[in-house]
Amino acid sequence: MTILVQAAMISALYALIAIGFTLIFGVGGVLNLAHGATITMGAFSAYYAGQLGLGIPAAVLASVAIPALFAGALYLGMVKRLEDEPIMVMITTLVVSVVIEQAIMVFEGTTSRSLPRLIEGQFSIAGATFQNLLGVMFVVSWLIIGLLFLFVNYTKTGKGILAVSMSHKGASLVGIRSSRINLITWIIAGAFAGIAGLFLGSWLTASYAMGQAQLVLSFSIVVVGGIGSIRGSVVGAYLIGFLEIATTNLISASLQGLAPLAVLVVVLLVKPEGLFGREFAE
Amino acid sequence: MVNDGSSSGAGDANGSEELGSEYNGNKRRIDRRRFLQAAGVGAAATGFAGCLGGGPSEQSEGIPSEVTVGVLAPAPENNPIGASIANSAELAASHLEDNDELLSGVDSVNVSIKNTEESPQTGRQRYRELTLDEGAHMTTGVFTSEVLLQLMDPISQQQTVHMTTGAATPEASKQVHEEYDKYKYHFRTGPVNGYHLGQNMVDFLGAKGSDLGWDSVALLVEDYEWTNPVQRAIDDHIGDLDVEVAMEQRYASGTENFGPIYDNVEQSGADAAFVAMAHTGTPAIVQWARDQRPFEFGGIHVLSQLPSYYEQTGGACGYTITQNTATPQSELTDKTLDYVEAFNDANDSYPVYTGYITYDAVMQWANVVTERETVNADEVVTGLEESSYTGTAGSLDYYGPDHEYAHDIMYNFSPDTRPEEGVNPVFQQWREGDGTGSQEVLHPSYVSSTDYEAPPWV
Repeated sequence: MTILVQAAMISALYALIAIGFTLIFGVGGVLNLAHGATITMGAFSAYYAGQLGLGIPAAVLASVAIPALFAGALYLGMVKRLEDEPIMVMITTLVVSVVIEQAIMVFEGTTSRSLPRLIEGQFSIAGATFQNLLGVMFVVSWLIIGLLFLFVNYTKTGKGILAVSMSHKGASLVGIRSSRINLITWIIAGAFAGIAGLFLGSWLTASYAMGQAQLVLSFSIVVVGGIGSIRGSVVGAYLIGFLEIATTNLISASLQGLAPLAVLVVVLLVKPEGLFGREFAE
Repeated sequence: MVNDGSSSGAGDANGSEELGSEYNGNKRRIDRRRFLQAAGVGAAATGFAGCLGGGPSEQSEGIPSEVTVGVLAPAPENNPIGASIANSAELAASHLEDNDELLSGVDSVNVSIKNTEESPQTGRQRYRELTLDEGAHMTTGVFTSEVLLQLMDPISQQQTVHMTTGAATPEASKQVHEEYDKYKYHFRTGPVNGYHLGQNMVDFLGAKGSDLGWDSVALLVEDYEWTNPVQRAIDDHIGDLDVEVAMEQRYASGTENFGPIYDNVEQSGADAAFVAMAHTGTPAIVQWARDQRPFEFGGIHVLSQLPSYYEQTGGACGYTITQNTATPQSELTDKTLDYVEAFNDANDSYPVYTGYITYDAVMQWANVVTERETVNADEVVTGLEESSYTGTAGSLDYYGPDHEYAHDIMYNFSPDTRPEEGVNPVFQQWREGDGTGSQEVLHPSYVSSTDYEAPPWV
């Protein structure tokens, strides 16, 4: 039971990490390799807010707003011009990712940083004790997934996102400006990455290279779930989360990080389209 | 502007001046004469450095009017370990210039600081720049063991005394022992070598075990080069104690999530995690404290040695124990607190362990040079071997050429009395009070300031 609770918590975080990545691919058809660095940016935004003594609400706000603005600026400044060249987008976002990491390394060094403690206290469930932070993270993750579902299906902009993800041409024909929809998507993805960075950093600490593992994790999750599928990403996150906790608890703690890679290889070999295919594609 | 050490040649000469002013506010003159001497042959010689023997000091006799100290530090601009190396070398140079007895005929002591970037290849290149382009009379610093091992051959080729002040691998001293004539220019002023670090952990556990109440421990060691001899020494000696090793794990170097590892420690029933951590230390300590894991925490935790670490971790390091060379409160010798205050005045912060050691290294070298009246490396090597110098960290004595740890600082564990020879590292505990933390000393008793206190949640 303890393993199940642990896995549910970590899977909720993994879902947060992966949704933004899959959203951008699903809608824009490009891979954002700066996604991991955006997560790092979220964590360090909260860290700096803490260092400036701005308090927890300001730290939370900074961790959401700064990555969202950054992602929007990245889209407008670089990606928009290269949208028809997915390889160039990959290279550009990879370079941006490296620049961000190096900048953090120069200013903060290579040692990990402790973020402000978002929530004090612990709770017990199934005979095991967990930080309240993890409980809140679980709730926030599902709240975001739910709100995203409502937004995509029941708002005009959300339906625009759905339409662009299905067909850029079709969306244009009915008067939807795909560049505006892409911009919104990038901003939403940046905000989600920032929230993921906030929780990840608060839980495990933040370091300049923390986004690298998260980028690999995002890849694994979206490939398992089916690239571009939000539902698939949530399922993929839970599959990998449960597998990782089971592996580290039942076999060896030294196998941390291996589960996503093992699943990635197996899925690519056996079912390369993932569990849910590309939900938004025609 | 801060020079990160990435430039070379003439740029480096200028960079050393800028670094000098950056670190302690004392403007240092550029070593132009020596630079010009080297410049004619320096650029070409760099390419052949691996083939040719003999550095500038080989021909040196007497003491020149300008002396150059070469410093190798990891990211001295933003890494406290590297900054302490750089700032302490500057402080020592400043004190030497003001000193009427040491290097009395020397007009200026130039300090040239290079960033190793913790990369063996970069460290090797920077070392050659220091010795070939800038004609350093001695070099010091080096934090990472992997970097030091790559420097052993260049040090032997340049025949310039190098005093290590951070890296702990005993492989370096083993090379000195096995090929003395080739590698005799290397000394380790501190910390005690990796094997002795492990032995020191066990010695501490033996001496203070009843106070700690740790009947069983879980040994957690990060997978880096420096921990290999530490782990070997613990395995060799912990059996002598009445302490059970409930589990032993060498975990991956990139570990960020310590949850599964700590679950295993809990399941093992260990009273404490007995650790050797440097690079992975902050996630480990923050997760231990925030999860309120039901076991205690101590050993060698390099980042906990930082005087600012309590603030950096938001108090998460409270109640943890770590070995340390010295703390700002530990008066190991009559020089310790004077150095700490001088460092604080110059830099508005307290040094970490590499600072004490680097300051001692430069001062001991200057002492020997003054005694021998020469900077000649062979003479200085003999002088250092015969030297017994009281520094800030203790008595600086080196093992002789016949010892398996030739030219390493002598380790001398002594719970209650100051050892006459060698160093006796301290063990500190982070304690809380008035919303801030302090590094209180548990061992040795002659500098201890408190008794051990377990975390309230255990």
